[in-house]
Amino acid sequence: MEGVQIGVLRRDGRTDAFFDGTAADRLVIKRCAPCGLWFAPDQVACPGCGDEELEWAPAAGTATLVTWTVTHGRPADDGTAPPPAFLALVELAEGPWLHARLDGVDRAALREGLPLRAAFVHPGEGESYVLFRPAD
Amino acid sequence: MGSGASIVGLGMTELGRVYGRSPRRFAADAVRLAVADAGLDLTDLDGLLVSHGLGGSPGIELADTLGLRDLRLLSQMNSFGATAGAMVSYAAMSVLSGAATTVACVFADAPLKPKQSAGSAYHRDAPEWYGFGGMTAALGFRSVNAFYALAAQRHMARYGTTSEQLGAIAVSTRQWAARNPLAQMREPITLADHQDSRWVAEPLHLLDCCLVSNGAIAVVVSRADRAGDLAQPPVHLWGWGQGHPGHRKERGSEFGLSTGAATSGPVAMKMAGITPADVDVAELYDCYTYTVLVSLEDYGFCGKGEGGAFAASGALGPGGALPTNTGGGQLSAYYMWGMTPLSEAVIQARGQGGERQAGKNDVILVSGNGGILDHHSTLIVSPHRKGA
Ligand SMILES: [Zn+2]
Repeated sequence: MEGVQIGVLRRDGRTDAFFDGTAADRLVIKRCAPCGLWFAPDQVACPGCGDEELEWAPAAGTATLVTWTVTHGRPADDGTAPPPAFLALVELAEGPWLHARLDGVDRAALREGLPLRAAFVHPGEGESYVLFRPAD
Repeated sequence: MGSGASIVGLGMTELGRVYGRSPRRFAADAVRLAVADAGLDLTDLDGLLVSHGLGGSPGIELADTLGLRDLRLLSQMNSFGATAGAMVSYAAMSVLSGAATTVACVFADAPLKPKQSAGSAYHRDAPEWYGFGGMTAALGFRSVNAFYALAAQRHMARYGTTSEQLGAIAVSTRQWAARNPLAQMREPITLADHQDSRWVAEPLHLLDCCLVSNGAIAVVVSRADRAGDLAQPPVHLWGWGQGHPGHRKERGSEFGLSTGAATSGPVAMKMAGITPADVDVAELYDCYTYTVLVSLEDYGFCGKGEGGAFAASGALGPGGALPTNTGGGQLSAYYMWGMTPLSEAVIQARGQGGERQAGKNDVILVSGNGGILDHHSTLIVSPHRKGA
C-alpha cells in the first residue's frame, strides 16, 4: 500500500461496535431510527431529537468522492520523503461524509462523484480499518 | 455619533522564534505593552478578555498574574481563529453599555520549541491511536493542513481555481511583508518560487501555508469620547459580526465552497453602514492562501468562484485596488491567530504603517477564521468616528 504508514488503532470504549464491524468486513455507522437519519460513526447525538443513544446500523459500503488531497510527508535529512498518501472526504450512500483514506486510485482519475467502495484491512497489530477503493 | 467604541492601545511582544517565555508571560507582557501604548496604567483596566492557542494557557488567572483588582469584566473566550474579533466586539459592547470602561483583549501562544521545525508544532504523531479522532489521524490526517487541502481542492474542482491563483496571494502577501520590519519572512518570492515549493498536502504547497510563531498581542478597547485624551490616535470600531455556518459532514454540505464570512461580513458591514466597495484595506485571516481567496468571495469583493481571478489580477498587493494583508499576514509576517490581521489593521488605521502604509485607510475590514472554516468574525475599523 502506498503512502504514509497507517498507525496502529486501539479501541477506546466508544468504538467497539465500529471495530467489531471492520473485523468482519462490515462498515457500521450511526443511525437515529425515529428521525430516519444516518450519521458518521463519531456522531454523539441526533441533532433532530437530541438522542445520545444512537444505534449502530450497517451501511452499504458504497460511497462517492467529495474532495481529496495528496499529502506528502516532511523530507528526511537525507532528502528522501515518504510516498504520498491519498486522503479524502467521501459521501456514503446513506448521506454522511467520512474523512477517509483512498487505496488503489489513479491520480488522474480523481474527480467529484467518483464511485467508491469500502475495503477492509486486517493488520497484524491493532484493529481492522476501512479504506475506500474505486468501485468496479 | 459621539459614543462609539475604539481601540486605544496595541501591545505586541517579540514574535516568532522567541523562546524562554511561557504563553502566560507573553500575554502579561503584551497587556502591559498595550496599556503603556495607550498612555494608561494597568490600574486603569477594569476588564480583561483572554484567549490562548492550542497549548491551553493562559486563562483568566492572567488577571492575577497582572495583579489586576476589582475588575468588572473577566472571561476566557474561544472560537479559535475568530476569537480576536469576538473579544473586541464583546469589549466594545461592554464599554458602550457601561459594564466596563477599559478592556484589554489578549491572545498568546508558544507552540515553537528550540530546534523543532515549525510544521512539527502542529503535527501529530503517536505509536498507537485511540478513538475515532485517533483513527482519522492514524489514516493520515496528521495535521490541519490536510483538512484545509480538502477544502481548497473542492473549491478548485467546483470553480476552476488554480494553484497559480493561490500563488498570487502568497506573492502579494510577501511583497507587503518585505516592507514590514515586524515580519518573519521578508525575502521576496516569485510565482515560480511558490510553484517550486514542496507539496505539503496537494493542492497546497509549502508557500500556501502560514508560519508558526511564539508571542502575544493585546489591544485595549475604550469609549471613543475618552480616546481623544489618550496617547495614540483612536481606531474606531464601526461594526462587527460573526458567522458560524455549522457545515455538517453530510450530503449537501457547502464545506470548502463558502464560509462564515458570508454571514459575518454583511452583519458587520450593515452595522458600519458600508458596502464592500467602501473598504479601502482588507486584513484577512490567512492560515492558507486559500482562506484569503474564499473570504474575498464571501465578503463580496468579487463574485463566488471569482476569487482566483481577482487575486491573480494584482488587486491585493502594493498599488492594487484592494490592499490586503498589508503587514504580510500569517503567511509571511507572524501567526498570532486573529490578532495578526487585527494588529495590522490598528497600525494601518493609525497611519503608522511606514513603508507599507496604505494610501487610503478610511475603512478597514478585519477577518478571523477558526477551526476548519467553522467559525468567522469580522470587524470594520476606521481612523474616523462613524458617521463623522
Ligand atoms: Zn433523532
